[in-house]
Amino acid sequence: MSRIWAVARNTIAQGFRMKLAVIVVLLLAILLPLMGVVMIGDGTLKGKLQTFVSYGLSLTSLLLCMLTIAVSTYTLTSDIKRCQIYLVVTKPVRRFEIICGKLLGVVLLITSLLVVFSVIIYSLTVSIPKFAKADAMELRQVNEEFFTSREIMTDPVDRDRIRELAIKEFRELEEDRQLPDGLSNSRIMSELEAKYRGMATNVPIGASKRWTFENVKLLDPEGIIFVQYKFAVAVPRADEKVYALWDVGDDRQYKVDRSQWKTEIYRIPNINAIRTVQEFQVPAKAVSEDGFISVVFHNPVENQTTVIPQEVSLLYRSGTFTTNFIRAVLVILARIIFLAALGVSFSTWLSFPVAILICVVVFFAGTVNGFIVDSLSGLSIVAEVFYSLTIRPILWFLPQFDGEFSPTQYIVSGESIGWLFLTRIFAVMVFLKATLLILFGMFIFHKKEVAKITV
Amino acid sequence: MVSENSQFAIETISLTKVFPDWWGRAKVVAVDNLDLQIKHNEVYGLLGPNGSGKTTTIKILLSLLHATKGHAYVLGASSREAKVSSRVGYLPEESYLYKYLTARETLDFYGRIFGLSSKVRKTRIDTLLEMVGLTAMANRAVGTYSKGMARRIGLAQALINDPDVLVLDEPTSGMDPIGTRQMKDLILELAERGKTILLCSHLLADVEDVCDRIGILYGGRMQMEGPVDSLLKKTEDTQILASGLSDSALEKIKAIIESEKADCSITSPMDKLEDFFIRTVSEAQRRKEPTSGAVNTGKISGFLKEDEVRSDDVLENLVNASVEDVPSSEVETTEADAATEVLKGADTSVLDELTKSAVENVAVDSPCVKVDANEEAVSTSEIKEDVLNKLIGESKDE
Repeated sequence: MSRIWAVARNTIAQGFRMKLAVIVVLLLAILLPLMGVVMIGDGTLKGKLQTFVSYGLSLTSLLLCMLTIAVSTYTLTSDIKRCQIYLVVTKPVRRFEIICGKLLGVVLLITSLLVVFSVIIYSLTVSIPKFAKADAMELRQVNEEFFTSREIMTDPVDRDRIRELAIKEFRELEEDRQLPDGLSNSRIMSELEAKYRGMATNVPIGASKRWTFENVKLLDPEGIIFVQYKFAVAVPRADEKVYALWDVGDDRQYKVDRSQWKTEIYRIPNINAIRTVQEFQVPAKAVSEDGFISVVFHNPVENQTTVIPQEVSLLYRSGTFTTNFIRAVLVILARIIFLAALGVSFSTWLSFPVAILICVVVFFAGTVNGFIVDSLSGLSIVAEVFYSLTIRPILWFLPQFDGEFSPTQYIVSGESIGWLFLTRIFAVMVFLKATLLILFGMFIFHKKEVAKITV
Repeated sequence: MVSENSQFAIETISLTKVFPDWWGRAKVVAVDNLDLQIKHNEVYGLLGPNGSGKTTTIKILLSLLHATKGHAYVLGASSREAKVSSRVGYLPEESYLYKYLTARETLDFYGRIFGLSSKVRKTRIDTLLEMVGLTAMANRAVGTYSKGMARRIGLAQALINDPDVLVLDEPTSGMDPIGTRQMKDLILELAERGKTILLCSHLLADVEDVCDRIGILYGGRMQMEGPVDSLLKKTEDTQILASGLSDSALEKIKAIIESEKADCSITSPMDKLEDFFIRTVSEAQRRKEPTSGAVNTGKISGFLKEDEVRSDDVLENLVNASVEDVPSSEVETTEADAATEVLKGADTSVLDELTKSAVENVAVDSPCVKVDANEEAVSTSEIKEDVLNKLIGESKDE
């Protein structure tokens, strides 16, 4: 261990001497406070906070990931190129210890920077409201919707049920020989699925739609819960507004007399803009003792059109902003460990320019991972076989930095990053992928002739 | 497995290294069936022109390259084994140091890699820095050092583990004459202490001065191998070095030699430029003239000489040797002085008898008597024997 530590210390010293490290540190040290001052978002306090924390964390993550790639690919390739490795490998240090030391050094270097800049972002974020000219209402809003960590629950459309219904109707049509001519079977199926999906999501004038949430574990039963949603409409009104009437509570109680109700069911009318995320608050007392709550949307006649509520979710406070922020930083740390392992592993057999190029490509592929996987999902059977044997394993190795794996979106919407989710990220990205990469690097380095071939 | 009883400290068996081209075809045979056997406590010099396979052999021995065929053992095992590498010191042909580390940090880094405790590390680093004359520059980044100074740090790192086997690739390259002399003194001292040293150098004079045995490589094959003395000895010539001889004494010697029908030439030996240089610089150092370069303390040989008994931690003991313990003349010792020392050490009455005058002053311009054999007359060995017998006989009579 002392030998690994010696190599790690040297790697840290090496990293700090890189001009890129100095540039990154200076850039972040200047940009972060500047962003805290100049960014205003949508003009509200919440908007300013969201914009600052979003750009601050994203910028820190991007620059530190780039620095990780640079240091991790440089450290070993430089030692080999400058022959400094001769004086290390000829001493009683195992080759795998050198690799471990390099990885540890890079991770410690970048982690220390990550801690420093996370503390700066955090401090700036919590101090912005103190210097902003915000009224009590705005302060209450940011406390409830931003400086919080909220669990988010959804009640998604049952796709399997929709497919079942579509298949059933398809067979009935087939038996009755009423399948339309000129259309392929797959086209007919997709049309039928679209019809049932529409029936499941669309709410015609005067109709209602119900979402249910179970196992709601409230941190503060006296507090508040949030319902978040977005509206789409068949035909927009001139003012692009949607009138809504919500019933939130344990609607199973309708079966009994109102005097026997244990919890209140709240009726909330509101007017919303279309295509933007909206939310309203309800006292947490609406949740039943067994953690059940239903949300019902009524489409009033004022709308004069079919309304399609989307992404309806229930949010409730489950932790503090600080712990959530730490978890967001840990997600970034997982990225850094993965990239450090990738860089060190590749530098055992590639030259510095090639290794850094591949790592940068992998990084950016990771940021559009979802897009790549989606674009390769609809292949023909022959291509599918080829794909699953060649590209899929490579894609599996790609890190996931986008979509649900992006920590900033959680912080921006005050959404809790679950421990389970975090554990999954570390298990896959660090313990599985990074470990495999490092083992591969160790194997190559073990077999490698480190001396230059000179005669 | 490390074999303590291994007959050889370093051994190669049919060692072959072929460098292939990009397509895997054999391109260059750098080492060709080399059988090298270096005994424990031997100073072995590996010589050869550029590209003869010296460095490749060393790199295979140190597991920096893999052998294409054959085996290479250090202390009876592969040098990749920690038990072996912890007993090996290596100074590569150039000082491949981390430029951003200071001299002290550099030695600390390698000390840590050897797993030395912080106390041992500290004392060894201090000793080594003093030994290589870089104590004053210890906190300067190695990148700012001259080549020779970097070489000294390279040497210090090779010694930090108090190795049993020392592999030195071009140890004196880039060093000033004092450093070169110190390096040679150090090699001799280390050899006295039971170390095995594999030396590889272009500077033949250095090899000649320190090596017990040499091997000359060419084309990756061993061309000639043997003890330096037997390879270089001119068996037909005899050289007698004396100082303070009077003209009459010289005439008498000449007469004796001529009576043996041998050729004889009498000259005064020149001071070697190396000795002259060392004297000049030592004078400047004694005057404490400022310098940003290495300062030679002459401690290498000094502190090693102090400790005659081999302890487990030589440097630990050596570190206690203070500057006062070391005769300041150590560095300045010239070959002429050394010659006088030899003569003083021998039975001076022989000289007295021969020259009829006392040795009063030791001068560098001592006359040198060189006796050349007369091939037509008696055989050289007979002449030598006769002359020596005369000298010894006269001495005994006294």
